[in-house]
Amino acid sequence: VTAPVRPSARVQLAAVFRKEVQQTVRDRRVMFMLVVAPLIQTVVFGFAVDYEVDRVATVVVDPDRSATSREDARRLLADGTLRAAGEARSADAASVAIDEGEASAALVFERRAEADRLSRRGQEVQVLLDGTDPNRTTVTSGAVSRFFAELGERLARERLAAEARAPAQLRPVPRVAFNPGLETAPYMVPGIAAMLLVIVTTFTSAMGLAREREMGTLEQVLVTPIRPLLLLVGKMAPFVVIGLVVVTLLVGVGTWIFAVPIRGSLGLLYLGTILYLLTTLGAGLLISTMSANQQQAFLGGFLFTIPAVLLSGLMTPILAMPGWLRPLTLVNPIRWYAEIMRGILLRGAGLADLWLQLLVLLVIGLAIVAAATLRFHRRLG
Amino acid sequence: VKGRMARALVRVYAMAAKEARHILRDPRTLYMSLGMPVLLLFLFGYGVAFDIDRIPLAVVDQDRTASSRQLVRALTASRELVDAGELADPAAALGAFRQGRASAALVVEEGYERTVLAREVVPVQLLVDGADALVANQLLAKAEALVRAESQRLARAEVGARTPPVQVKVWTRYNPEGRSAFYMVPGLAAYLLAITAVLLTALTIAGEWERGSMEQLFASPIGRLEIVLGKLLPYLALGLLEFLLVVAFGMTAFDLPMRGSAIALALLGLVFLVGMLGQGLLVSVLAKNQTVATQAGVMSSLLPSLLLSGMIFPIENMPLPLRQLSRVIPARYLVHGLRGVLLKGNALDVLWPDLLALSIFAVVVIGLATARFQRRLA
Repeated sequence: VTAPVRPSARVQLAAVFRKEVQQTVRDRRVMFMLVVAPLIQTVVFGFAVDYEVDRVATVVVDPDRSATSREDARRLLADGTLRAAGEARSADAASVAIDEGEASAALVFERRAEADRLSRRGQEVQVLLDGTDPNRTTVTSGAVSRFFAELGERLARERLAAEARAPAQLRPVPRVAFNPGLETAPYMVPGIAAMLLVIVTTFTSAMGLAREREMGTLEQVLVTPIRPLLLLVGKMAPFVVIGLVVVTLLVGVGTWIFAVPIRGSLGLLYLGTILYLLTTLGAGLLISTMSANQQQAFLGGFLFTIPAVLLSGLMTPILAMPGWLRPLTLVNPIRWYAEIMRGILLRGAGLADLWLQLLVLLVIGLAIVAAATLRFHRRLG
Repeated sequence: VKGRMARALVRVYAMAAKEARHILRDPRTLYMSLGMPVLLLFLFGYGVAFDIDRIPLAVVDQDRTASSRQLVRALTASRELVDAGELADPAAALGAFRQGRASAALVVEEGYERTVLAREVVPVQLLVDGADALVANQLLAKAEALVRAESQRLARAEVGARTPPVQVKVWTRYNPEGRSAFYMVPGLAAYLLAITAVLLTALTIAGEWERGSMEQLFASPIGRLEIVLGKLLPYLALGLLEFLLVVAFGMTAFDLPMRGSAIALALLGLVFLVGMLGQGLLVSVLAKNQTVATQAGVMSSLLPSLLLSGMIFPIENMPLPLRQLSRVIPARYLVHGLRGVLLKGNALDVLWPDLLALSIFAVVVIGLATARFQRRLA
């Protein structure tokens, strides 16, 4: 009796690939979830994500009612960061408006605002801020401080110039590269794409294998001569193709609707995407080797994707994380892929700038797939 | 009528007891659903933050004088900006941005010291990587304040201290230290509750269909609403336990104050959980199998609750259609309610619209789940 000949790796791979493609394409709803849903979500969320602090509702308390106080309030409220939300009788009334959420800031002049400004002791303006949102607080208080500091400097300089002894004055001149309007969408839309890719691919690959195990078809596959590694690779391959299609669509939507620039090479972007999909699909497989049924795979998927998304620098900057938490982002594939995407699209970065990010993704991907294969072997034994 | 009610209650109880046994028999799921939100709240409470310091600032010093070095020191001595090394010329700054080595560059042009000594107005160039608008905005606010402080120091050195004609005093309420955790932890708690609630129930009914045990349930005298309620109750108990755990943990670990009404908080939490568990059940009723239920559950909770609830991205910045859409995201009301009660000291007199919206959502979702259930019976 001769041992049966194992078909070549190519044949084994092609068989699994064909089966996975058929199974995925057959179910219209699954295809919808994989391709159309991310597209819709990118459009919706692209409009939703905006950190820009502007039009902060501000009540004005102006007991002085002088020409200068009115002029100051008018000019401060006209510069875009703040907007007028009515007047209040007193600072206390303004606080109540902030407590109840009718305003987020209050500009309080003193009763003798104009007279104080001309006097030796100077004028003091008070600003009350709703501090719940620290980002809004920083930017609002920055804008208010800048306005009054510039005003004070100008007045002081005029007075000193009258005495012919004005000192030097440093004037900050900001120049913004890559995104002169400081808009959120061009930065966030690539991030949303990275997020949707991980969600779609990790859950699909985690649930796919868990489902086969639950339905008992995994055992049928395992009695065929296929090697476990090839089985896993064949299961991942169709989703790499789907992932590349989805990325193309998302970048298209990003440039078309949200004016995301494409300053670097798309080839490099695809290379980065393939490496990224290796990590996300691999993570899904690893999760499924650790779960007995679909419900556990589902929970495992959440347990991976939510921290990976929120601790990746995708929504909030890594710079804002405490030092002990930052090393965790080093093993997070989303962090590296977000850097690759934003680097290529917004900053026109090339291979020379991004080789490290690509290399790290490759290492993480290989490690995850190796771990998944090992666990898969062990469960068989 | 009384007898019928009693019998209905018995059936709901039987269903709930069966479901509770399911939960208790799978301790892994139980630990995950109780432990996961607490662990994640801990990680995110620290990790999801906006207050940036130590922003890397590259320096292009073409003047190379004592004054220019003083200016560089004035900007980088604070914790807010740190020196990320010298660059030869402004063009090199773009390369540093591409490699992520710096977020901004200070360009001191040749002749800086001369202009300062000549008592003129001196432009100080800040080249900023605008790709990340959040970092860029905060960086601009901080760098401009530092440059102005240096300007005032120069002026004092030359003409002596004087009271400036206008001064501004900023009072920050609720969160004077500007701690991100105060803002984020209530939002995160609401978010984590939203997704665990949906994922707890999203698969339960789909699973019964897939395993074929649904037919057996229909053969028994239990009604559709009774199935839905019976499925809901054990998870509601679990959810309430988790709500307490998350709020208590958030308050102790991050020193969150509790300035408002605890009753308002409890009511909001209860109604919110009923709604989110109901949403999970609805997904489960609508989906034919667990794979579709998973994707639909993820898509309907994970991202909308994250992006449209106002937890990270302010709702008032959204375009009108999205602001309207956010009204059907229950997390929005809990995020608002939690922040209101914990930080701003609100009670039901301010928060009743949130409670009302959550109640409407809960009733509609459970009604829909029951109604859709009916149609599949035929």
